[in-house]
Amino acid sequence: MSSKVMSSAIVFETLATSVSQCDRSEKFFLHFLEKPMELKLCELIGLKRKIENIDLTALVSSQGPDIEILYLSHQHPILVLSIYEILELREVLSGTFTMLELNSLIHKSIHRKFS
Amino acid sequence: MKDILRRHQVLKLEIVDVINKQIKMEAHSSSAYLAMAGWCDLQGYDNCADFFFKQSEEERKHQLKFFHYLTDMEAQAISPAIGDCQHDFENLRDVFETALDIEISVTDAIHDIVGVCRKHTDIATEEFMKWFVQEQIEEEYIARRALELFDVLGEDKIALGMIEEKILSVSYDGAN
Repeated sequence: MSSKVMSSAIVFETLATSVSQCDRSEKFFLHFLEKPMELKLCELIGLKRKIENIDLTALVSSQGPDIEILYLSHQHPILVLSIYEILELREVLSGTFTMLELNSLIHKSIHRKFS
Repeated sequence: MKDILRRHQVLKLEIVDVINKQIKMEAHSSSAYLAMAGWCDLQGYDNCADFFFKQSEEERKHQLKFFHYLTDMEAQAISPAIGDCQHDFENLRDVFETALDIEISVTDAIHDIVGVCRKHTDIATEEFMKWFVQEQIEEEYIARRALELFDVLGEDKIALGMIEEKILSVSYDGAN
């Protein structure tokens, strides 16, 4: 685990997956595969959208293997996701954005108001 | 914990979505006007063709204005895939009828975006949208006035010739 990951704070976690943020680099780390994925906010939003847009019903009913292949950018590994992993990512990303919005509200109502 | 969401995301996701939708709509409008310009040119209505070439460029400028706004706000702007548009028209009046329909649809969509801005108290985007609200008043006025030329002058050959002469001078002077 890199030093950048070590200095990051957990935003949201499930039993198997977590997202943390590094205040110094202002990036997020998705601890999902063996190596954490380093993502900028716009990439995290993009990943959430792609995960949400996967049609699970079509995936289950298709003749092929029940996997979805996601390409984020050349800087990231291609994700090959099972249905279980898609559900896992949906949960962790949904929770992450809820916590980020909550953090934003706290900053707005406390920190920015009294600074 | 730093508020990275606010530091790097100026716009709410729903705002980004509706603006991306609008980028697509403006691109489609630009494409539709280009098709109209092509039809007019083929039929020998050179001035009407110029009118629609200009309209097509206007819509393209609107598309880029929205596109730049999203990228300036650190949001993902999506360059849209545009579907097919109408290339065949019954007559010249039909072209202008279709143009007015396009403008009304765009106006409705612009007003919907303002509604979403108000829902999220996104004052900055609402301010940005004011230009488009005004622009649509002008665009709709011009489309409506152009169509009225057919009511006033008729649709015989002489009238169509007069419409050809007048079309490039149809303009909006503002709400004076």
